[in-house]
This record gives sequence, C-alpha cells and structure tokens, in this order.
Amino acid sequence: MNNKLLENLKINLYQLLILFKLSYRELRGSIKEFKIIIISIFLGVFIICAVGSVSENLKYEINNKSNILLGGDFELSATYQPFPVQIKNWLDNNGKTTHIIELRTMLLSKILNEQKQRLVELKAVDNYWPLIGSLSVIPKIPINKSMKKIDNIHGVLIDESLKMQLKINVGDILNLGQTKIQIRGIIIKEPDRLFSFATFGSRLLVTKEALKDSKIVVPGSLVKYKVKFIPTNKNLKLTFLKNLIQDTNISIKTIKNSTNNFNKFIEKTSLFISFVGLISLLISGVGISNGVNGYLIKKIKNIAIFKTLGAKSSTIFQIYFLQIIFVFIISSIPAVLLGITIPFLLSSLISQNLITSFQPAVFINPIIMSLLFGMIVCLLFTIIPISRTYQIKPIQLIRMSSHHSLNNFSKKIKVLILVLILSLCLLVLKLTGDLKISFYIFLVISFSFIILISSTNLLFILLKKINFKVGSIIELSRKSLIRPGSFSKSIVMSFSIGLSLLITLNIIEESLNYKITNTINQQAPNYFLIDIQPNQIDKVKKITSDIIDLKSLNSQPMLRGRIIEIKGIKVDKLIVNKEVQWVLKSDRAFSWSNQIPPNVNLISGKWWPQDYDGPILISIGDKIANGLNLKIGDVIKFNVLGKNFEAKIFNTREILWQNMGINFVFILSKNNIERAPHTWIATLTNKNKKGINTILEKIVENFANISYISVNESFQAIKSLLNLLIVIINSIAFLTLFSGIIVLLGILNVSKKDKLFEVAIFKILGASPKKIIFLWLQEYFIIGIMTSLISFVIGTSVSYLLLKYVFQIEFYFNFLTISLLSLFVPAIIIIISFLKMFTIMYLKPLKIIRINNH
Amino acid sequence: MKNKIKEKLIELKNIHVNIKNNIENIHILKGINLTIYKNTSISITGESGAGKSTLAMTIAGLELISKGKIFFKNKPIHNLNENALAIYRSKYIGIVFQSFNLLDSMTALENVNLPMEISGSKIDSKRSFDLLKSVGLGNRTTHYPHQLSGGEQQRVAIARALIASPEILIADEPTGNLDKRNSEEIMNLIFKLQQENGSSLIIVTHDQSIASRCNQNVFLDNGFII
Repeated sequence: MNNKLLENLKINLYQLLILFKLSYRELRGSIKEFKIIIISIFLGVFIICAVGSVSENLKYEINNKSNILLGGDFELSATYQPFPVQIKNWLDNNGKTTHIIELRTMLLSKILNEQKQRLVELKAVDNYWPLIGSLSVIPKIPINKSMKKIDNIHGVLIDESLKMQLKINVGDILNLGQTKIQIRGIIIKEPDRLFSFATFGSRLLVTKEALKDSKIVVPGSLVKYKVKFIPTNKNLKLTFLKNLIQDTNISIKTIKNSTNNFNKFIEKTSLFISFVGLISLLISGVGISNGVNGYLIKKIKNIAIFKTLGAKSSTIFQIYFLQIIFVFIISSIPAVLLGITIPFLLSSLISQNLITSFQPAVFINPIIMSLLFGMIVCLLFTIIPISRTYQIKPIQLIRMSSHHSLNNFSKKIKVLILVLILSLCLLVLKLTGDLKISFYIFLVISFSFIILISSTNLLFILLKKINFKVGSIIELSRKSLIRPGSFSKSIVMSFSIGLSLLITLNIIEESLNYKITNTINQQAPNYFLIDIQPNQIDKVKKITSDIIDLKSLNSQPMLRGRIIEIKGIKVDKLIVNKEVQWVLKSDRAFSWSNQIPPNVNLISGKWWPQDYDGPILISIGDKIANGLNLKIGDVIKFNVLGKNFEAKIFNTREILWQNMGINFVFILSKNNIERAPHTWIATLTNKNKKGINTILEKIVENFANISYISVNESFQAIKSLLNLLIVIINSIAFLTLFSGIIVLLGILNVSKKDKLFEVAIFKILGASPKKIIFLWLQEYFIIGIMTSLISFVIGTSVSYLLLKYVFQIEFYFNFLTISLLSLFVPAIIIIISFLKMFTIMYLKPLKIIRINNH
Repeated sequence: MKNKIKEKLIELKNIHVNIKNNIENIHILKGINLTIYKNTSISITGESGAGKSTLAMTIAGLELISKGKIFFKNKPIHNLNENALAIYRSKYIGIVFQSFNLLDSMTALENVNLPMEISGSKIDSKRSFDLLKSVGLGNRTTHYPHQLSGGEQQRVAIARALIASPEILIADEPTGNLDKRNSEEIMNLIFKLQQENGSSLIIVTHDQSIASRCNQNVFLDNGFII
C-alpha cells in the first residue's frame, strides 16, 4: 500500500516537474510580453507593503518608546489648581517625580523698534525634568547650565519656529511678564513631546523660578499642573492611584492610554492609504487582465499546438496559470523588498519630525498582507482570461476564425472567482479590523464599479446607435471603437477610476477651502482674547471703545470644570453617542448669564428670568443634549475647582460652530458662580485692521497675562495641514492615473499588430499619413472624452454625497479646475498613444502585409 | 482479398461536418464512408475547399462531427469528450502541418520531446536525438525554430509527430510551404519513417506524384468521396 502511495506521489511530482518545465519554456521567450503586468503588480503590492511597513514601524516605535513620550510611567495633571499637598507629597515620597506647569502666553520681541508678539506654549520645569530621555538643544549645553539665572536674567530655550516668527536668536533678551529672559538655545527634540505640529504655539521652555518671577500666573489662569511619576514599587496598580486622586480634578495618563490616540491615528491614516493602494491594485488588475488577454491572443497558436499534441485543457490551464504565478513572484518580490526598505529610507525624516532615534525594522505582517492582496487581485483578474484557454480549439491552427465567443465559464471557474472575491473581502476585513468599515468599502467599490461599468456600457451602446456620414473620418473612428475585440472600453474604465478619484478629492478640497475662506471673510472674529482677569475686563472694554468701538468686543465670563454625573449615572458608566463623547472626556468651559446672549436661537424651553436666584439652571446645545439623551428637567452634576454642584436643564439652544465665535456648550444661571475664580474670554471683530492691532498692542503692554489667538492664523495652520493631507492623497490618486497609463500602454502593445495591419491596408487603399494620424487622434480623443464624462458624473455625485452627509458642508464646484482635470486625461491618452504608435506610420505597407501573412 | 487480412484501424461511417460562423452554416463533409487499414498509406486529394484537411482532422479527433460514427480499432471515438480525445491523440496520432507549427520558444529537441512531456510518459531524450539525427538535424538540436530554414522546421515537425510512435501519421500538405528539392526530401523522409515506424499514413496533398506513392487514394469533391 505504501509502495503504491509512493509510486503515485512520484508520478504526481514528475507531472508537476513537467508542468514547470513547459511553463518555463513558454515563458522563456515571452517574458517581455509581461512587462506591463509586472509593473502593475509591482505598483499595487509596493504601495500596500510600504504603507503597512511604515505604519507597523511607527506603532512599534511609539509603543516601545511610550514611557519616554509620556515622560514617566504615569502622568498626572490638573487644570487651574496645583496638586493638593498630601497627593504631591505621596508622589514625591513614593517614586521619582518631576513637576511641570504648562500654559499659553504671549511673548514679545522688540527688534529695532519693531514689536512682534506670538502666542507660545510655555512649559516651566524643575531640576528633575526630564525623568526619562534627554532634551536635545543647539548649542549643546546641559539644561541646568543653559537655564540658569545669571544677573537676574533667566535662561530659556525656544523652538526653531519661534526664532523665525519673532526674529530672535540665541543671546537675545526679552520680557516675560515682570522678568527678563535670555534665549540660550534652540530645542531640537523634546523627549516628552510627540508632535511638533500638533500644538497651537511654539515652545518656550523656562524654569519654575522664571515663571514665578514673571508673575503671569494669577488666580483663574488657564494653567495645567503636571507630575510625571515613576513609582518605586514597579507593581503599583493604576486603581491605587485612581483611589488616591478620587474627588480631585486630577486625571491620569498611563503608558498604554497615552499612545492610544496616536495608534488610532496611524491605523486610520495607513488604512486610508492602503485603501488607495488597493484601488490602485484593482486598476492594475484591469491592466493585468488586458495584459494576460493580449499575451494569450499571441499564444493561441501555441495552445492549439499543445492541444493537437494531446494536451488536456486542464494541462494547458495549469501551464499558463503557473506562468502567472511565476510572473507574480518576480514582480512582487522586488515590490516587497522595496516596500520594506521605505521605513529605512524615511528613518532620518521620521527621527527629525516624529520619533527621536527612530530605529526601523522589518515586519512580517505587511509583507504577508501585500502579497496576499497582490496574489488575490492578480488571480482574480487573470483567471478569466486564462480560463478562455479551455475554449481554444486545436482546429484553430488551420481555421483561426472557428470560435470567438469565449465568454462561457465552467462551474469550477465561477466557484474559483467567487472564492477569490470572498478572500479579498476577508483580507479587507483583516486590514480594517472593522466589519462595518469593510462592508462599506466593499459596498462603495462594488457600487462604483457597477456605476462605472453601466455608464461605460451605456456610452458605448449610444456610440453603436449613432451613425455618421459613410466614409467620413469620424465614422471610421466610431467603427474602430466599437468593433469586436476593441480595447477602448478597458481604456475608458481604467482611466475613469483614477480620474473620478481626482475629481472627487478636488471638489472636496475646493469646498473645504471655500468654506474656510468664506467663514474667515464673513463671519469669524479676527482675534480671541483669553485669560482676561475679572478686574481687567472693564479696562479691556475701555481700550476697545477708545480705539474703535465697544461693539467690536464680545466678552463672556468663563470657568472650567467637568461633568461627573448625568441623571444620577457616573460619567464613566454612561453609554452615549460617539459624536458627543468629547464633552465628557476632559475639562469643559462654562459661562453664565441671566440675560439671553445675543443671537441665540432657543430650540426648546425658555431663558430664566433676569432676577432669577433659585437652584442652578442650565442652557445646553441641542445637538449635545440629543447625543447625551438629555431633555429639559434632567440634572447634570458638575465639578468646578474641586466643588460639586447640580444643575437642571432649563432650555436647549442651537450652536453654530461654524461662526467661529464664542460658543459655550453649557451656560449656567448666574447665582453665586461669579464669586468663583474665573477669567473672561473675548473676541475682537472689526475690518479696521490697524485699529485692531493698536488694541492688541495696548492690551499686551498693559496686561502680561492676557493672550490672544489670531483666528486667521489658526485657520491658515489648519488649512496648511489640510492641504498637506490633500497633497498626499492627491499624489496617491495620481498614482492610480499612472496605473491607467500602464493599462493604456499594455493595450497599445497588444493592439499594435492590428493597428500595423490597419495602417498598411489604409495606405494601400490610398490614405495619407496625415489622414491616418487624424483618424487615430480622433479615436483616442473620443475615448478621452468618454472617460472625462464618466469620471465627471461619478466624481461630482460621490463628492456631493460625501460633502452633504459626511462633511456636512456646502458643495462648491470650481468649474475651471474640474474642466482642466477632465481635459488632462484625454490629453494624456492622445499624447501617449500617439508617441507609441507614431513609428508605425513609417513602415512600408507591403512589408507589413507579408509579415502578417507569414 | 489482400485487404481482408489487414487490420482495420480507422472506420468512418456517414460522416458529416458542419461549421458555423457568424454569417452561415457551412456543410463541409457530406456523408463520408472510409476505412483505413494498419500500416498502409492513403492520400486525400481534391480542390481547395473540398474538405481534405477537415477529413484528416476529423480522423485526428480535432474536428467535431455533426453526424456519423468514427471507430478506431473498432472502438467508437465520435462520442469521446475533449479530454479522452486528447489522450487518443497523444497515444495514437502524429500530425505534420503545412505551416510546421513548432513552438517558437522551444529548441528543436524540446519541440520533439513535447508529446512525451504532455502525455506524462518518461522522456527519452536519446530517442528524440536519434529521430532528429534520422531527419538530418543531428547538429541542430539546440536551435530555435527561427534559426532553422522551412525545410528544417518541417523535419523537426516530422520528428515530433513520430516521437510517440503513433499508429496514424497525418500529414496535412506537408510540402505546401517548401521548394521542390525540399519537398522531395521531406516526402521521402515521411514515407521512409512511416515504413520504419509501422504507422499508417494519411496524407493530404494537391500533388498527384505524392498521391501515387500511396497504397490508397481518396478524391474529395465538394464534401463527397468520388
């Protein structure tokens, strides 16, 4: 029995060896036919592998260095108030600690009588900072030396960006509140700061002594007190610390939850780019399919010879299938190799901007994922052309016109195609890790493909129905486009995917930009003034009314606190709508007023009386109320500055976030809250820029603690970040167009022989080269226009839906940009095909006819 | 009397072949009855379009018949599926075409080895080499088809057709693409190797001098044997 098994195994192995041999020999002389297929597979696999590798490396590095980024094992922080003494002492006695104070303030520079001021993120540190990692500064001087107080002047360190903004340099002396500071170095990397672009202002690093001397911190200032903590007891539980800080406004970050947001950001970004990579791979699939089709057309004779010599159809299928596997291997291995080197190539860039001393590594997961994606897409798009080998009859050796209806597939092939589609879905599920997102991706791709295929078919049906004057060039072009075996549909489809993506992205970009510019120009205030002390607000009002008018200033009192309970349920046990979770997550700003604020639109309830003096009432934003399942009469428990109080909902109102004014989610009834330490916030809105600047100069001169934020600059910062994202996305979208070009080149290669013959016949029949060129240009122009039309319909409708339902902003359409984009593709198609086919024009027709007959 | 002692190899009974294309249905063979015996040679002649190649390819199992019966050694082959017909060809049939039909990506030796590789039988490279030698190409075994002349290519095709020692050798106008000298050499070779191999030879030709060298002659006119 064993001998028989062994014998069977030997036979099977021998047959496999023969198959390999035959495949290799078939491929040996034809590998150049696969160059388009190789590029197509390479591109798709490379994108997925590169994106996956960078993302895995970043996640690994972040998780590995998360204690450095957190600055300790735990970070405890409190807003407004310093830590209670007993908690501070416990932390100091039970491990290593460093105490930090963070706040935003204005920094002024006066160079040659020109005054410049910037909002900075001030960080005041003690002698123990940093607990982990090290600060990198130019010039390289130890931190305790560089920040030392010499001759009553404190040493400080700043970001490179601040140096540029204020035109200051190392050695310059400035004022910080009531003390003098000297720039002693430029910060290259701060160990416990992940992103340099995520914060509002540039860094100003000072000692705690310098901050104290500046006297810019006054009661009610928005100050964050932080303690970085490494416990002596390594087994210290988070629950213990949570108990320690119970009933205080202190919150804790651990190594684990500090990196969660970053990991999510990386996952979402890489998911998006991988998704574009997948689309590129799917477009490449069209190229792969056409390439294999063309290859097999050239191999019909060989297939017929194989069959004549007694080869079974399944053997032939296996011979060509093995060739595809071989081609996949030789194209995907370099793609994977290049993909895994991308993190190494980007390492210095990442080290400079993101993670200090980033050490790239090779991860197996992206390799497997990219290979699987590539393999499935490759098989999915080649299985149909290869299965057509079943229908090639050996008799075609003597009668080529025998059978051309190669559209029926066996059950086995149908099952295989289904299995491949299911595998692709499973892979997308693995990539996203989210069934809902995977389902949407599948739905969007299927829907887009259905629209794409049906609109392309519709246009071609129309093209078939139209008749032009017999013998005219346009009629010849039309006939050429609709003739059986024409590849024009494939060109239209492969370019339409890329162009639709570009149009969609462009409309979204234009709409967002339009929205931002429009808001800045029409509605948004010019400046926000923050941290105004109660005793300063009247003076600020006076300065404003003296220089412009009081109407330009909108001011409201503000204090910060957090929600602890809603309808008697603790916040951490509440299940609320995802979109409003941010309200419960950290400190929120409140205001109070017994007068209905101007321009408020009440949705339900009414405002309390002006002389109201009962239990605390509250007005809440209606969308937030809906998300938190709240209605009039419900009770919310707050903690403000360590004190708890309850407030009953009295009304809900509409909040128009897009007006960029002062928008409080919660406005309380006045009661006695005004006695609590609080600050004022104000906006300055006026077209008189000179007047506004004078107001700001006066305010900063008189009140060192008041900071201002330019709305325009913030918008510009958001806009440039948005533009950066759009540039990245657009570049990848252009890659998809590149896939389209590869498909076109492949098709031109395949159809070159037919074109050659066509030219020869036209020439013999007396057509001039000029006429033939014009005919081609017209043919490719029609293809290009069809692509533009389809992409325009898909791009505008998809972007309209996304803007309306996802971004919830107005659809804005820049006709000129979209027209240019739409014409870009016909231009590419015409230029490439013309360059590729131009040489054919100069071949002698008789020579071509003889070669063709041979 | 002489034929009676010969073994029947192929028997065609009332064979009809219809070919459909987009425009019309062409009735090529219209009721052919023919018996071919072992170790004999038969020529098929006739005008262009008379159905000569179709008849030869029907015997090779390459052309599907629309009516009638075909027997090989008294066993029906007209009802075989494509896979069974492939096995039938690989075991019993060798074909030489007018246009050689060699695989361009393979050397002369590899082309000759091909039928053995396809059938999964053990490759006997010595035999392939000897066959190539016997057709006069002992020194051209590693050459690719494009490096060979028309006559040389046809010799490789003959060696390939005979490598599996087929019982029937079908030659479809084997000298149609060759000059007179090459044609004579190729025909001599085919007859010589057929004799040595003990195969039956079916030869499609326009050339009466070639037809006259065969034991049996069939003349086709408009799908009928006359």
